[in-house]
Amino acid sequence: MAKVRIYRDLCKGVEECGICVSVCPKKLFQPSAALNPKGYRPPEMKDETACTGCENCMIYCPDLAIAVKRDKAAKGAKR
Amino acid sequence: MSEIVHPLHRFIRPYVTSTTNCPGCGNGIAAQAILRAVDELGMTLDDFIFVTGIGCSAWIPSPFFDVDVLHTTHGRPIAFALGIKMGLPEKKVMVTSGDGDLAAIGGNHLIHNARRNIEMVVICLNNGIYGMTGGQAAPTTPMGLKTATTPYGTFENPFDISELVIAAGATFVARWTTHHARQLTASIKKAIQKKGFSFIEVITQCPVQYGKKTGSGSAVQMMKEYKEKSILLKEAAKLSKDELHGRIVVGELVDKEAPEMLEEINRMKKKVAGEKA
Amino acid sequence: MKGTRVQTGKYFMMGNTACAEGALAAGCDFAAGYPITPATEIANRLAERLPQVGGMFLQMEDEISSIAAIIGASWTGKKVMTATSGPGISLMLENLGFAIGVETPCVIVNVQRGGPTTGMPTAGVPADMVQPKRGSHGDYEIIALCPASPQEMFEHTVLAFNFAEKYRVPVFILSDAFVGHMREEVVIPEAGRIEIVNRKVTEIGTDPQKVKGFLDEDVAPMPIFGRGFRSHVTSSCHDEYGKRNLSDLTALDNFIRKLSDKILKHKEDIVRVERDYEGAEVVLVSYGAVSRAAKMAAIRAREQGLPVGTLRLITPWPFPSEEIEEMARKAKKVIVLENNLGQMYPFIKAEAACHADVSFLPPRVIGEIQDPEAILNRIREVMK
Repeated sequence: MAKVRIYRDLCKGVEECGICVSVCPKKLFQPSAALNPKGYRPPEMKDETACTGCENCMIYCPDLAIAVKRDKAAKGAKR
Repeated sequence: MSEIVHPLHRFIRPYVTSTTNCPGCGNGIAAQAILRAVDELGMTLDDFIFVTGIGCSAWIPSPFFDVDVLHTTHGRPIAFALGIKMGLPEKKVMVTSGDGDLAAIGGNHLIHNARRNIEMVVICLNNGIYGMTGGQAAPTTPMGLKTATTPYGTFENPFDISELVIAAGATFVARWTTHHARQLTASIKKAIQKKGFSFIEVITQCPVQYGKKTGSGSAVQMMKEYKEKSILLKEAAKLSKDELHGRIVVGELVDKEAPEMLEEINRMKKKVAGEKA
Repeated sequence: MKGTRVQTGKYFMMGNTACAEGALAAGCDFAAGYPITPATEIANRLAERLPQVGGMFLQMEDEISSIAAIIGASWTGKKVMTATSGPGISLMLENLGFAIGVETPCVIVNVQRGGPTTGMPTAGVPADMVQPKRGSHGDYEIIALCPASPQEMFEHTVLAFNFAEKYRVPVFILSDAFVGHMREEVVIPEAGRIEIVNRKVTEIGTDPQKVKGFLDEDVAPMPIFGRGFRSHVTSSCHDEYGKRNLSDLTALDNFIRKLSDKILKHKEDIVRVERDYEGAEVVLVSYGAVSRAAKMAAIRAREQGLPVGTLRLITPWPFPSEEIEEMARKAKKVIVLENNLGQMYPFIKAEAACHADVSFLPPRVIGEIQDPEAILNRIREVMK
């Protein structure tokens, strides 16, 4: 439904920030294994195929660290 | 398979490698909302000139946005912005500033330029605290809260900045929280196109200074609280003042027409030129 | 004639009016201000005249926003000015520092009055001579001109705009209530005979990432707004590209020194003095309205065979140290005349005292200009 790219080096961490984890309606984010060079732990997507392309994570990330590109119009996504 | 690119990264100044915000700072959400508004309007940042004061919100466009930006002195961005608009009336002038910068030290300039209804967009990032200097009380800090300079709790009534700006004469006033990122973008788009003084108050989380000091919790918790406390203008109209206590009234609070200062000046100049001839 | 920038002609004109006309002749497009005695006539005249030439005057809510608005307008390429008195300058000092720090051309007129605080608004006392140089926080250099007549109110205002444009710095006109309100002959020449200097601006099409808009001792071209330079103009300590640096002390050192050296390196071009001390043993040093009394005293002294000369400071800032020293080497006695408690005196003494005996003579009553006879008496005293 959508492609998601996480800019790991821009992220400020699921513990310190964690907004993407909270706003994803499908709860698709979890902490990734490795820290980024700044010492933050970025998220990773459990299952990109379950993403509806709602773009919440992209819109709410204060660091513009997540990009979402819909393959086609997402069901239920607000515009 | 090529990697997707964030559609707004092209607006970021090339030498900037990350935002200067604390983790979870609501200013970042507002920054993106601004860029999204520019993008959706089909405009570029070269159509804009940004003016900021002092504080974390001043750093939204400086150095983050790849744009002409004047990062000025505390409380004064609106006054500088007026001069810029006088010199480049065709450009969109936008001020991003905090509640302390705009409503404490800068209150006078906010009031008078709302009165003048000069065409510009002022986005007030209201986090209820002085964040950059370490968490001192602001004119918007709720009564009773313990801050760095009110260790026994604040004892002053807080401002409703939007009400102040409406009373001063601004023709477009909206208030949203960082929970309402999409609505915020929509209002910013309207404000950019409005021929008048547009003021958008954004209730935004400062998890490090406000959150920690006052026990309001993390960025996520603060945003959840905004969601719970927010009430749309038309719903709020049905409630009494007491029932609205502690709620955040959001929406486009005012959208009206009134003479805009530059138009009045141009009218006057034509008259003077006519008299000369 | 109404509606033209340069009102060529010979007039019996008030100093403040001549100042406003000087601004128009110099190309001023935008001015902002706030009413204050004894400067208000400048604002009134600009409000009337600027719209006639396509410009604008705005009365702002206070002096702080007045200087802020003109700085903003200067960054769009406009030539700008504000006029006030001591209390207004006090309010403007923070933003003065901003204008200096980001290198903004602008002209600031101080029609000085008796202070401190509200004081006596109509007394022509040069009460704020050091304020431009040390009033704002931090180390910096400033340019200031001291007119002694309505004619000079016109000429120095034009010169002030030219200096501001050439050096991308705020330039002060330090007038006072006497010179501002006095009426005298003012000759405004034809437009073609008035030298006008315009700022260097970054070349259109320059790659925004390569624009060096700041901290050049020989004055960087100004990357004004609205031309696609994406200029980052910040009050924070910054580098040649305008990039903020809040951690490296070498960046702070560079920021401070380059801003000052930009002016100090060009003192030869900027500093103006009026010398009339050939063969003099006693030199009267003064500026502004008091220089009229010094001139008269020197004339009378010479008529009596006394070897007296004058040195008038036209630019008190940047401080004309070389010119003071040069004079002190030739003189035996230096008398500094000011209509205050001695504001330039310590600086003059520091340069001159190792070469000559330096003393200070205030007027009998501060606010009055020194009586030439009183000056003559002091001359005779020091010559004993």
